[in-house]
Amino acid sequence: MKSTKLSRQKTEPGAENAKKTSSRRSFLRRLGLGALITGLAGQLFAFVRALVPNVLYEAPRSFKIGVPETFAQGMTYLQDHRLFIGRDQRGLYAISAVCTHLGCTVKMMNLNQSRKVQVAGKTVEITQEFHCPCHGSKYYGDGTNYAGPAPRPLDWYRLEVSPNDGQLLVNTSEVVHHDFRLNA
Amino acid sequence: MKLKEHWETLTWTWNPKSLRESSDSVVRNLMLHWFPAKVSRQSLSFRYSFWLGTITAVLFFILCITGFILMFLYVPSVERAYPSMKDIEFVASFGRFTRAVHRISAHLMVVAVFLHMMRAFLTAAYKNGLSANQKRPVNWIIGVVLLLLTLLLSFTGYLLPWDQLAYWAITVGTNIARAVPLIGEQIRFVLLGGNEIDQNTLLRFYVLHCFVLPGAVLLLFSWHMWRVRKDGGLACVDRLARDEKEKNSAPIKAKTYSLLGITSGHNVHVETSYIDEDEHLVESSPNLTRRLLLVILATLFLTSLLAYVVQAPLEQAANPLVTPNPAKAPWYFLWLQELVADTTIHLGSYTISGAFIGGVLVPGLLALLLAAWPYLDRSTVNATGVWFAKERQRQNMIFLAIVLLVILLTFVGTFMRGPSWHLYWPWQAWPETPTRF
Repeated sequence: MKSTKLSRQKTEPGAENAKKTSSRRSFLRRLGLGALITGLAGQLFAFVRALVPNVLYEAPRSFKIGVPETFAQGMTYLQDHRLFIGRDQRGLYAISAVCTHLGCTVKMMNLNQSRKVQVAGKTVEITQEFHCPCHGSKYYGDGTNYAGPAPRPLDWYRLEVSPNDGQLLVNTSEVVHHDFRLNA
Repeated sequence: MKLKEHWETLTWTWNPKSLRESSDSVVRNLMLHWFPAKVSRQSLSFRYSFWLGTITAVLFFILCITGFILMFLYVPSVERAYPSMKDIEFVASFGRFTRAVHRISAHLMVVAVFLHMMRAFLTAAYKNGLSANQKRPVNWIIGVVLLLLTLLLSFTGYLLPWDQLAYWAITVGTNIARAVPLIGEQIRFVLLGGNEIDQNTLLRFYVLHCFVLPGAVLLLFSWHMWRVRKDGGLACVDRLARDEKEKNSAPIKAKTYSLLGITSGHNVHVETSYIDEDEHLVESSPNLTRRLLLVILATLFLTSLLAYVVQAPLEQAANPLVTPNPAKAPWYFLWLQELVADTTIHLGSYTISGAFIGGVLVPGLLALLLAAWPYLDRSTVNATGVWFAKERQRQNMIFLAIVLLVILLTFVGTFMRGPSWHLYWPWQAWPETPTRF
């Protein structure tokens, strides 16, 4: 009954009026729905954004590790920084002890006798290796990965001498090439 | 008299004297109202379902209760987390027992969910039967999400003791998250609340473990159960309906307690099944409630007993500077650890990290395949609710092969990996390695 009444209304002179009402109604409906969705999306964004920290209370990415003279020939491990400091004829360098596979700390293995290996076409003499305890990745003493799941060599970090007090400054946010040496 | 009435609103009759009394208890009682008034003997059978879903739910509630107790005793701060664990272990009365029950229930829940999934696959319980409005594939997907949530719950719970095991398992786990292409770095940053595993990480994992994930499980669990009711019970009922249909050409005139069938515009005979009620159905109270209580009792007994035998370990306090050797994830993730250790691929000068292949790609594809399986399965309706149906033989074989491979990798990771992830026989002694240098 009701539906026939409604349909008849549309054909009557007031039909245009009824059309107007329905378009206003649908506009308001869309407006309401749009406001709800926009409001919810905005709130959701705010909530999620609040979970991304703006300030970190973490250890600084660059730090001092003492005067260069403290580091003798060979490799020194700084446990507190998960860092190896090496010294050879050409100078000082810093290698990260963080495995490039999944972030475990690699262990240094001193070889009984040095051996020559091919790294990127060049022959390098190594006296130690790094082994990862988690998944068995292996690196030569210069950080080049040669076995296990590690996808790339260990990071080398920039070393500087601080102009203020002459201490060595490690910058772990700057990765450098394997040829890097600091003459100090 | 008044007291007795109150008591009766909370409980139900153990031994109903009439059908009316039996169905009345299901209608009247909050805890029973989600059961059907009558249930088929087949779906109560231990041999069909092994009651694994129920066991999982019971374990979940044991975990909630022990978890609430532990929340009162544990402090989620880097300085105090480990000392509060020591207090739970050595100072609080029954603290060690509560923690042991929580841990063993968590392990058993992973096992139970996995076995429940295997049961559902091998009986093709994700397939619709003859009744209308069934959406069993949807319920299967809910189940797959519940399986993943269970693993995430275990993983987040792992960090909370803040011991060496916890710290390095989370190091490995969140670095796997980093291997996700494009947004991996951001995912890890938000997950950890920074670049390092620290106070932010502990608090985040705590809130996820104690509120977000259990809440999600509770929600999905309710949906899961609701769908089981809407789909007309377990899949074995559909097999029964099929057999009955072959016997009787016309649907049996069923008693209409399926009012929903009328309201949604379907013929009552479609909604109610071909099953002869008097022959195959029994009253839920006491037949279902009694079995349910027995399963609860058995699960409680098992967890308490195991908690006495297997003490929850607590390693040394977390030390971000020293990685234990070997560093192993919890056993149910060791197949993944085995994969990430084995799947780094070198293509000329280009390297794809095992963290991506073994940690993201393979488990991601497996989860997707699992979720999509009901839509790939082309077997007929005859396979629904049948253990090892002949026409599903090949897919069951493939499924079992994958399961076997996962179990094999877990076994290798658990028993055959020693220091530096070298292979050893389970009976072979590991060489002494210095933990520090």
